[in-house]
Amino acid sequence: MGGERLIAMPDPHRQFVWDIPIRIFHWSLVGLLAFSWWSAENYRMDWHRLSGQAVLFLLIFRVIWGILGTQTARFRHFLKGPRAIRAWWKGDQSAPEQIGHNPLGGWSVVAMLLALGAQVVTGLFAVDIDGIESGPLSHLVDFEQGRLASAIHDTSFNILLALIALHVAAVVFYLLVRRQNLVGPMLTGTKAALQPAVPVRRGGVVQLLCSLTLAGAAAWWIFADPAF
Amino acid sequence: MAAGMKPGWKAGALVVICALAAPLLAAPNDIVAMRVAGFREVGAAFKNINDELKSSTPQKYVIQLSARQIRDYARQHYGWFPAGSGSKPGVKTAAKPEIWSQAAAFKTAQDGFAKQANAFATVAASGDVARMRAQAKALGQTCTVCHRSFRIEERR
Repeated sequence: MGGERLIAMPDPHRQFVWDIPIRIFHWSLVGLLAFSWWSAENYRMDWHRLSGQAVLFLLIFRVIWGILGTQTARFRHFLKGPRAIRAWWKGDQSAPEQIGHNPLGGWSVVAMLLALGAQVVTGLFAVDIDGIESGPLSHLVDFEQGRLASAIHDTSFNILLALIALHVAAVVFYLLVRRQNLVGPMLTGTKAALQPAVPVRRGGVVQLLCSLTLAGAAAWWIFADPAF
Repeated sequence: MAAGMKPGWKAGALVVICALAAPLLAAPNDIVAMRVAGFREVGAAFKNINDELKSSTPQKYVIQLSARQIRDYARQHYGWFPAGSGSKPGVKTAAKPEIWSQAAAFKTAQDGFAKQANAFATVAASGDVARMRAQAKALGQTCTVCHRSFRIEERR
């Protein structure tokens, strides 16, 4: 397995940050969330379900890639304890340069993934007020439980929006105050070179295929027609 | 008029009037609670129907029972919107004022529901699942049409 990993540093003028799977994950999630919102507001529930299925796929993929993937995608890499967060907050220069999420940003990623998870799971069981439109697993719950799932779906969406607003605000803060463009690396995958360059261990092809297959199978199976 | 009345009688009359009026004052809340409960049953019954129709092996008796339940509520629901049972302080309801200001249009929507509920119960009794699927869509459409015009929609 180790053979597939490479310390990729093809361009000496650029520092590698985000791999392609993470970048695709990020921007397709942006698009899908907007589309999910629009489709729900306009009663396009067939599209809303499909969009939810795609988000479920992305979410499962992201969790697996957070275990098997490229170093900057891994939870173990970017989740730090309170001491590291404090040191980073105070701007401790002796702290080692971290590529990817900063110690606080890492937890905001977890918060967003949790809110997104609540959103997708409640959506699976949600039932509308007429008993017409419903999530793919709603046949497993009764009407009242489905309505409750729907109410939580509503609340968790507001929480998700608040977290996204916070995320965007942090990016804008970095751009205007810290003069650091975080959007660029999420598009190109790299940022201006550091001295010395920080090596980032890349996820392997086998791990990538495993993650995609598992996420795809789970998202397909959860949304498949009930066999009852 | 009450000049010749003894104070005791006056107080007694007041108590009687209040006792008689109390249910009238409480009525809007009761009718709102009643129609909320009623429509919740309709929703639950329709969920049962749609769950079965989603399945490759629908339980027809579930659909038939639920269809009769909906038909029953469709007959009752004409009495659920008396004048004065709209939104007001202390009464929480999603019923729009248009129900009473556009009474004829509302009646048409109610008739649509009753008609499709009847039609669905008939189709359900026939046991033809393909026709049930088509008819369930027509029935659901009457919920949607009425709710978009006459119900304050919370989109969830």
